[in-house]
Amino acid sequence: WAGYGRCGVAVVRVSGPASATALRSMAGHRLPPPRTALLRSITDPLSGEMLDRGLVLWFPAPHSFTGEDSVEFHIHGGPAVITAVLQALGSVPGTRPAEAGEFTRRAFQAGKLDLTEVEGLGDLIHAETEAQRRQALRQMSGELGHIYRDWSHKLKRCLAHIEAFIDFSEDELIEDGVLDQADRSVCDLQSQIEQHLRDERRGERLRSGVHVVIAGATNAGKSSLLNTLCQRPAAIVSPIAGTTRDIVETAVDIGGFPVLLSDTAGLRESADLVEQEGVRRARERVQQADLTLLVVDSTCLPSDVQRAAGFLSEHLRNMCLLVLNKSDLLPETQRQKLKMELRGVSGLPAVCLLSCQTNEGLKDFLTVLQSSVKTLCGDPLAGAPTLTQARHRAHLQQCVAALSQFQRYRDSDLALAAEGVRLALTSLGRITGRVGAEEILDIIFKDFCIGK
Amino acid sequence: MLTKKLQPVQSFLSLVSRSVGHFPRQHYDVIVVGGGHAGTEAAAAAARLGAETLLITQKIHTIGALSCNPSLGGVGKGHLVREVDALDGLCGRAGDWAGISFSILNRRKGPAVWGPRAQLDRQRYREFMQSELLSTPRLTVMEGSVEELLVTDPNPEQPGQHRVNGICLANSSHPISASSVVLTTGTFLSGSLFIGQTTSPGGRIGDAPSSAGLSHTLRERLGLKVGRLRTGTPPRIVKDSVDLSLATLNPPDSSPTPFSFMNTHTRCRPEEQLPCYLTYTTPGVERVVRESLHLNCHIQQDAKGPRYCPSIESRVLRFPGRRHQVWLEPEGLTSDLLYPQGLSMTMPPDVQLRLIREIPPLHKAEIHMPGYGVQYDFVCPTQLSPSLQVKSTQGLFLAGQINGTTGYEEAAAQGLWAGVNAGRRALSKPPVALSRTESYIGVLIDDLVSRGVTEPYRMFTSRAEFRTSLRPDNADLRLTLKGRFELGCVSSSRHQKAVRVKNSLQDALAALQALSLSTTSWKRKIPDVHVSEANSNMLSGIEMLQYKDVSFQVLASIFPEVLLPFMEFSQRLKIEAVYRPHCESNKREIQRIQEEENMSLPEDIDYLSLPVSLSQEVREVLHRARPSTLGAATRLEGITPAAVVNLFNYVCFAEKRKKTSHGNQRRQKEGREEELCASLPQ
Repeated sequence: WAGYGRCGVAVVRVSGPASATALRSMAGHRLPPPRTALLRSITDPLSGEMLDRGLVLWFPAPHSFTGEDSVEFHIHGGPAVITAVLQALGSVPGTRPAEAGEFTRRAFQAGKLDLTEVEGLGDLIHAETEAQRRQALRQMSGELGHIYRDWSHKLKRCLAHIEAFIDFSEDELIEDGVLDQADRSVCDLQSQIEQHLRDERRGERLRSGVHVVIAGATNAGKSSLLNTLCQRPAAIVSPIAGTTRDIVETAVDIGGFPVLLSDTAGLRESADLVEQEGVRRARERVQQADLTLLVVDSTCLPSDVQRAAGFLSEHLRNMCLLVLNKSDLLPETQRQKLKMELRGVSGLPAVCLLSCQTNEGLKDFLTVLQSSVKTLCGDPLAGAPTLTQARHRAHLQQCVAALSQFQRYRDSDLALAAEGVRLALTSLGRITGRVGAEEILDIIFKDFCIGK
Repeated sequence: MLTKKLQPVQSFLSLVSRSVGHFPRQHYDVIVVGGGHAGTEAAAAAARLGAETLLITQKIHTIGALSCNPSLGGVGKGHLVREVDALDGLCGRAGDWAGISFSILNRRKGPAVWGPRAQLDRQRYREFMQSELLSTPRLTVMEGSVEELLVTDPNPEQPGQHRVNGICLANSSHPISASSVVLTTGTFLSGSLFIGQTTSPGGRIGDAPSSAGLSHTLRERLGLKVGRLRTGTPPRIVKDSVDLSLATLNPPDSSPTPFSFMNTHTRCRPEEQLPCYLTYTTPGVERVVRESLHLNCHIQQDAKGPRYCPSIESRVLRFPGRRHQVWLEPEGLTSDLLYPQGLSMTMPPDVQLRLIREIPPLHKAEIHMPGYGVQYDFVCPTQLSPSLQVKSTQGLFLAGQINGTTGYEEAAAQGLWAGVNAGRRALSKPPVALSRTESYIGVLIDDLVSRGVTEPYRMFTSRAEFRTSLRPDNADLRLTLKGRFELGCVSSSRHQKAVRVKNSLQDALAALQALSLSTTSWKRKIPDVHVSEANSNMLSGIEMLQYKDVSFQVLASIFPEVLLPFMEFSQRLKIEAVYRPHCESNKREIQRIQEEENMSLPEDIDYLSLPVSLSQEVREVLHRARPSTLGAATRLEGITPAAVVNLFNYVCFAEKRKKTSHGNQRRQKEGREEELCASLPQ
């Protein structure tokens, strides 16, 4: 049994063979019909004292989350009520508090969930934004596991065909087409898995957050932008150039997508050792970023707009948004001119004219930022489910590498080629936990404290 | 170069004289019952180990008889022959002595799955086996029929409910005692022969059936679970009556490859070899099968036959409308018979004649001896430990078809293994195990004792997880050294040879590794080979050897002073170079399996009540199979990864508990958890 917190309703769940005893001894001798909520008095089995009135549900095995007999008590969420019910449960023979993740573990062991579903469940519990929730729910419902199992199934067939060709073809009649068919399947699978891997890490980003780095020269207003985006004074702001020396990180929700925002030290040559280190860290962070917000003090732009475009291009990297800050300090004519002229310049990313002081242009900027983040994460509901975990990626990459071993040896050594398919199958199996699960099981249940 | 000559076969007269008038002793270390492929290897292996051994067979002159096909080896089976040879067994050398047509199957599919195979001269094979056995020190060969096993109470210090300590012969009042008894009864255990509608007791045509007493003892007295399997053999055809011009000639390899690591050449010279012929069935064959089904008892029975070498009846019934291969194989250099592989059949003799005459080259063929079917009892091999000793019965070992396998090679491998362990038991040495990570013999035995059989078991290369490491070319490196010191079944001359090979290969590989040249220099030296520029600048000789078109000979011609001394190993070096990276990557997985195999599960464990969270299905599987190690448990059908983890935790916990003799609170807590887990339904 498990459950904790201060809330309106608390659910205490009991799983295992003593469930029925617990229910009978605490909420009346007759078991309710399966999976039907009944309002009952919940009493202490020893003293007979009434502890609460609440809903009870009875889930006989195997139709329960864990696959075992289960009972749920929906009680009032005050700490005293919960403590009393838990204590009462403790006096029922054969019960003990559940360990972290134990219900999920039992569900996995009973074959109710595969590993991707377990991971999806963990993500769902930890989901903080709307898009994360959608992705996790989709994974938990088994869609990702379904894809991997389908591939496994196809590979198994391939391998069986190749093995038949090796072991039987010379003294028994194995049709010649068998190997060609295996060739085609391996090719198909390889390209499908490569396609799946070419997702630009969208699913993983959505799961763990998009890394957005604010970078630019000193005093361009980077920290102000951070504070504006997270709507609180997370970073110290001052007119002194070089105020921010280390990286300031904060998590924000941009239109339902998780974003990990980093403010960095302004880029300039400095004699100050601490500032030098800050600049080094800033450059490193920009290298690892999914998206860079390049902040430029618009008053520092060359007044000639054409030259301004050239000036900006020098600071660009692949995935980048240009933020021209302090627009309030420009004359209106210059603002209009910048807006008009920079929009059409090829080679320049989206440009936003913004004032962190007056919030002018903030709405437009947020729209641009949100669509960039959305592109980086992809739509969790559209198309095939995406990769969500680095663990999956590693196994899939091994799988693709193993399949290329098949291609490499296909004509010279069928035994080594078949070995490639075998390895590929093992790698795929490790994702869903259907093959060789014993090694990853412990990691999974150690790393994820899930599904109490 | 080693040019050891094959041993000349002793005159047949001297062997017979040894058995006649030779009164057997009262006690032997090991008694082997049966003189087929399993029995001969078992008896020879036990004797090599140093055990006083008695081989009892119905007729000495049928020792080494090839009851069915006149051939040895093939894909998977050839691996077994090489391994039996690496452990100093007989069948490899017998094959080299008796072979009359050698070929390596799967030549284009890679050295790991090459299948060394030979057609055999039946007469020569028997000669070799009989000569070997009758000249083996410490081995007595005796004609007789075993009536009964001597069963007594078990040694209480060892697991088991019974003990076998000897045998009783028919027509003899004196039992012969032994520390170990190896049963290799082949198809003779409650065997019945089938031709058409007639059934007669027996395991092979022309031989007396074995006694019903043995079967009764195994079943009733020892309580062993037995099942029924069937097999069959085709009619033998008079060669002169066959029009071979209507079949396709299939010549052997121009240069025969010997089976044995001890031989550099075969007895049969390349040009003396005989070809095989390939032909096909016709719709007429199918028609005859269908018309005669009501006359065919064997095919109507439901005992399980092999899917792998099915009778012609089951072939055409399962795949109607197709033509099926028929190989016409020689039976010997001077034999006037042909063996039609693929035409195993059990219909009445006159129908058999009608059937074969539907095949064009056989349209005037005469049958010398009709085909027939055999049904026989086998002992479910999950009742055996990995030493092939019956778990419940101390001192009783089983090998060959009695364990549900099919094939000479499978029988020979088990025979050798049972002989080694029977000998070790008699000499008070602990049993030994061969892992499936190091040999096909290990795969065979692990499959048998942990999974059991549902149809006659035949070896395939795909059964071996580490196929790229377990190659026919390196069986000596894998097994001979171990066979000498750990098992004790390898002679010193073979051991010395293997050591020399091992050292030479190591030296040669080191020399190749030391040959490090830039890609450009390699290109200058071997212009025909496309060395990819993407590689790092320096390439070793080993890396060059991995290229498809680079042979060791090519390298040796460039660096004669370094490499010429190793020319005799050129093929092995090429294979080593190509496979080395793959074997390296196998190693971690092999290590994991070996660790699991080292975690033994107690023999007396009660899975049905084990206080571990296991499903009822899993419990029943474990209860039936009683795996001896955690590794064996993981390979059982129906065992989930979760069950393995729980079993693993249990074993670890059980070991810990053994070490700490005093109870403490922690133990009580864990004990409580155990109780809780025990009552979990799944």
